[in-house]
Amino acid sequence: MQDGPGKGVMARVARVLSAVSTVALWAAGAGLVLMTAVVAWQVYGRYVLNRSPSWTEPGAVMLMSWFILLGAAAGVRENNHLGFDVLVYLLPRGAKGVLRTISDLVVLAFGAGMVWYGGQLAALTWGSTLPSLGISGAFDYLPVVVGGVLIALFALERIALRLGGAPVDQELDEAPAAGEREEAAGAAQARG
Amino acid sequence: MELWILFGVFAVLLLIGVPIAFCLGAASFAAVAYMGLPPLVVFQRLNSGMSVFSLLAIPFFIYAGDLMVRGGIARRIVAFAGSLVGHIRGGLGQVNIAASTLFGGISGSAVAEAAAVGGLMIPQMKARGYGVDYAVNVTSMAALIALLLPPSHNMIIYSISAGGKISIADLFTAGILPGLLLALALMTTAYFVARRRGYPTEAFPGLVAVAHLAAVAVPGLLLIAIIFGGVRSGVFTATESSCIAVLYALLVTVLVYREMTWRDFVHATLGAVRTTATVLLIIGTAAAFSWLMAYLKVPASLVAWMNAISDDPLVIILLLNVLMLLLGTFMDMGPMIIITTPIFLPVAQAYGIDPVHFGVIMVLNLGIGLNTPPVGIVQFVTCAVARISVWEAMRSIWPFYFAGLLVLGLVTYVPAISLWLPGVFR
Repeated sequence: MQDGPGKGVMARVARVLSAVSTVALWAAGAGLVLMTAVVAWQVYGRYVLNRSPSWTEPGAVMLMSWFILLGAAAGVRENNHLGFDVLVYLLPRGAKGVLRTISDLVVLAFGAGMVWYGGQLAALTWGSTLPSLGISGAFDYLPVVVGGVLIALFALERIALRLGGAPVDQELDEAPAAGEREEAAGAAQARG
Repeated sequence: MELWILFGVFAVLLLIGVPIAFCLGAASFAAVAYMGLPPLVVFQRLNSGMSVFSLLAIPFFIYAGDLMVRGGIARRIVAFAGSLVGHIRGGLGQVNIAASTLFGGISGSAVAEAAAVGGLMIPQMKARGYGVDYAVNVTSMAALIALLLPPSHNMIIYSISAGGKISIADLFTAGILPGLLLALALMTTAYFVARRRGYPTEAFPGLVAVAHLAAVAVPGLLLIAIIFGGVRSGVFTATESSCIAVLYALLVTVLVYREMTWRDFVHATLGAVRTTATVLLIIGTAAAFSWLMAYLKVPASLVAWMNAISDDPLVIILLLNVLMLLLGTFMDMGPMIIITTPIFLPVAQAYGIDPVHFGVIMVLNLGIGLNTPPVGIVQFVTCAVARISVWEAMRSIWPFYFAGLLVLGLVTYVPAISLWLPGVFR
């Protein structure tokens, strides 16, 4: 903990980003619960109130956009995105680091693209109004922009940490069937 | 050339370990940039691909499955299955398959099922002297039953990828008989392997015990009737039924079984976020990717190419099956369905294959790919639960592969197995 000012700053940044990632994850969880409530309300409205509210479908879809992009951004930091790791496992340690850095650069670039082009799309649709929600069409692209910011930030952090010699890839370098990561089993759901 | 960029960039990035969601996005971006189209289109497709109401069914069904595992529904179903088939040769293997069939009827995710049923059954099987490889192979292959039985979110992904014109109620119904056939084939295989290896049977607990365990499991099993009945009769849509499944799972685990703690709830919720958000992002970037494939007329070229090989539908469907089996070993199911449906379905339809039938073939075929290395997520999860390596499991999986492929062959060449039941309901 006392090896120069650079590491201290990085540790502080990592703490802040860790908090951001946790907030994103919990917000996505809250989004999931809200989505459940909104769709349940739609069924309730149709059968009990005898009229289908028109805002529930677009509302639930917009919540889902936030849910996906916040959850996927947290996934970049927690490293639980699906990939094809077989080749990387077989390589020596140095080559692994290089490929992982390239991979993070691709993620960083795509995140930046989401911010830039998502922002342009939001600007283009600023004047329009979403029917049945009554808000600006730009809100459609807001999750892409915010998700892009977080994805780029988290990818950048991984690159910086790796360059600083921190063990960011440690869990990944264990064999896939090491059998010690029960959370991995949990985290792997939905893939089938 | 555009195609080479699209597929080339994708393949290279995939091989060097870039997450699939970003491989698809970056490859689309590269192709669009090369073709001189505005890059905006990639992100517009990404956004519209994710903004589909029926996609909500994916997080909801996974969430419901997580809640059922944490809240004790899965455990009671396994106990009930144990009393039903434990006395057949290879007892705990049979229990495993029966439990997967019952749980598959309410969960729909093969990975959730492998983790849930495997987590409960594999330690028991080890303790009773079964080979760990046998336990793993029974669990991982039985997990595929969940893909075919309703509610299968993979069928929903297929319906969306096909442009949303295929009835989800029909797909759900079409999967039932193939799912039961797979269960039967696996139980038979488990029986013969168990007999050769001299595995024990469990004592039949008596009808009273069976009735008691059934009564305890009924609140969970009722969900099968609610989902299937609700969707089939049109009371609610498939998406709405997935939301009902979440509410019902909460209701049963909190009020009836009283096992769901706040901690469990948070774990299940965040777990569902972790697993589905990444999959849905893949669906978004795959939407951009498959839009480009359509723009570049990939399906039409494939039809022309297939035409040159043969004009016999039986040969074409065999080719498609082999192609999917090969591709399925390298990629996960969800992205595979999204990418290949717009290419393969037009081919299948050009040869007169019913889209509902083709959906069942595709889900079963790619499901088998979940149990084949190098990318076989169900197999990896099951091996992780059992703490053995994939290679140990692979040594004795062949009879089970054979059973799976036999069912795939039957489902492919006997359309009635899939199409008879939806016809009855229509």
